[in-house]
Amino acid sequence: MTSSKPSASTNDPTKFTIKSGLAKMLKGGVIMDVINAEQARIAEEAGACAVMALERVPADIRAQGGVARMSDPHMIKEIMDTVTIPVMAKARIGHFVECQILEALGVDYIDESEVLTPADTVHHVEKHPFKVPFVCGCRNLGEALRRIDEGAAMIRTKGEAGTGDVVEAVKHIRTVSSEINRASGMSDMELRVFAKELNAPFHLLKETAEQGRLPVVNFAAGGVATPADAALMMQLGCDGVFVGSGIFKSGDATKRARAIVEAVTHFRDPKILAEVSSGIGEAMVGLNVEKMPNGERLAGRGW
Amino acid sequence: MSKHLTVGVLALQGAFHEHIKLLTQASASFAIDGDVRWRFVEVRTPVELDACNALIIPGGESTTVSLVAARTGLLEPLRDFVKAKRRPTWGTCAGLILLAESANKTKKGGQELIGGLDVRVNRNYFGRQTESFEAPLDLAFLQKARTDVESSETTRPFNGIFIRAPAVERLLPSVPGEQKGEAAVEGTVIAPSKGPTTPVNQVEIMATIPGRSNALRAKLEALRLEDEAGDIVAVRQGNVFGTSFHPELTKDARIHFWWLKSVMEAVDAGQDSLDISSAI
Repeated sequence: MTSSKPSASTNDPTKFTIKSGLAKMLKGGVIMDVINAEQARIAEEAGACAVMALERVPADIRAQGGVARMSDPHMIKEIMDTVTIPVMAKARIGHFVECQILEALGVDYIDESEVLTPADTVHHVEKHPFKVPFVCGCRNLGEALRRIDEGAAMIRTKGEAGTGDVVEAVKHIRTVSSEINRASGMSDMELRVFAKELNAPFHLLKETAEQGRLPVVNFAAGGVATPADAALMMQLGCDGVFVGSGIFKSGDATKRARAIVEAVTHFRDPKILAEVSSGIGEAMVGLNVEKMPNGERLAGRGW
Repeated sequence: MSKHLTVGVLALQGAFHEHIKLLTQASASFAIDGDVRWRFVEVRTPVELDACNALIIPGGESTTVSLVAARTGLLEPLRDFVKAKRRPTWGTCAGLILLAESANKTKKGGQELIGGLDVRVNRNYFGRQTESFEAPLDLAFLQKARTDVESSETTRPFNGIFIRAPAVERLLPSVPGEQKGEAAVEGTVIAPSKGPTTPVNQVEIMATIPGRSNALRAKLEALRLEDEAGDIVAVRQGNVFGTSFHPELTKDARIHFWWLKSVMEAVDAGQDSLDISSAI
C-alpha cells in the first residue's frame, strides 16, 4: 500500500487521509479566534497557522449569555477572502445543518464546539459523510475516541474557554495522557474491558495503544492566555494550541499573538520563552474556574 | 570508516515529525551499504542549521514558517544554506513555496521567500481544503533509484497527497541573483539575491499530474497564467528539490530513500562546503 493506513477512519480511508492530513500541517502552530477580517489579518501577520472565525469570543459569550450559534456566513466569507491561511468556523454540537452551511461556504475545518449552545443533548454530528474535516473537543480519552469514531479528524483537549485560566486544559491533557499510558501496557483482553470502561470503540483504543498517542492531531484549547501557558500545553504533549479570548481580550493583541506563536515553536527553550514573554502588555483579566458554578462551565458539554 | 551525515528538518511549524519518521525508515535501507551513518535532527536555530549537510522544509503554513524564520533570525542563514552553499534541500508543499524564487497568491503584503528554485509557484493553485485530493503519480526518477529490488517496487505509482496544495505555474530562466522580471508581475513576490553569481543548473520537471477531472481542469485553465507549466508538482534544480504533495503523509519511503541517495552523491561530489568530519 502506498497510502497511509485507513487509521482512525471507519468509512472512507481516502478522504480521511486528506482530512487528518490538514491537521498535521497545522502542528506546532497557533490557531486564533477572530471576529472580523481586521483581526484575521493581525492573526495572519502574527504567524497564526489558521484562524477560527466566530462572532463572539468565548469570554463575550460567557459575559453576554444568550444562545450562541454559528456565525453569520457573510462574516466568515469576508475572513476567508481576506487571509490565505486556513479558516475554521464553529457549529453547535449536533447541529448538522449549520455544518452543511459551513461546508457550502468552503471553510477549511469545522469545529463542532461546546463553546456554542448545544443543539442536541444526545447526538453529535455524524462527521464522516462531510468532505470538510472536523475538530472536536474532549476531556478524556473515551470522549476523544467517540468523536474520532464519528469522523473527527482532529481533537482538541478542552480547557475552560473564555476564562484565561489554564487549569482545566492541563487537567484534561493529563487525563488523556495517563489513559493512553495505561492502554499502552494492556493486552487485547484488557483493552476490551478498558474500552467498555471508557465507552470507546475497541479498534480505536487499540490503535491508540499501539501508537502511544491519539490517532489524530491533538491541540490544546481553552484558557491559554500567555506564551508560558502555550508552551506548557506543548510540553504536556499537545501538537499545537488554540487561543481564543486570550489574544484579542489582552492589552496588546499584536504583540501577544506573535509571542504565543514563537512560544509554540520554541516551547522547550526557556531562554526564548523568557524573551518572548517580556513586555507584551496585560494578559486578559481572566476568571477563576475553581470559583465558577458548574452550570457556567462549557467544557462539560459533549456526550 | 563510516561517514556521518546530518539531515535537518526545519521544525518551526508543520509536519516535521512525519519527515523524520520516513527518513529513519528510508535510512534503514542503507544499512546494507554500511558506509553512511545518518543523523536526523529538528532545526529551529541557526546553530542547528549549520550542523546539517542537507535540509527538508516540511509541509505546514508557509506564512507561519516564513514569519517565524524572519523573527528568529533564521531566514538569512536559510538563504545562505540553500543558495550560497547550495547544500541539498527538499521542500514539500509549504517548503516548495518557500524555495521558489517567485510566488503569487500570497497573503496581503506578500511574504518572504528563501528561493533556490527558478520557478513561479502559485500558492493556492489547487484551492481550499474541500478541493484537496489524492492522485497516483508516476515518478520516473524513482525507477532509477534502486536496481536491487523487484521492479514493481520501483514502478508502482506513488500516492500523491495534495492538501491546499501549490503548483509550479511557470519555469523561469536560470539567472544569477533575483528574478527581476518576476518582480514586475502584479501580485507576485520574489526572493532576494544571495550568491553565487554564476548561473546554476536549469530547472528539471520531475512530476506532473495527468488526468485531472474536466471540471477542475476548466477551473484551473481560468486561473492559469501560463500554459506551459499547468500541473507541475515536482521540480529540481541542482541540489534543490521541491514537491507540492506530501510524501510525509504516506508510509512510502521511496522518495525519501531516493533523496538521501542524492544527498550522498552531492556530498561525495563536493558540492557541499561543510567539513564532513566536523558534523559528527
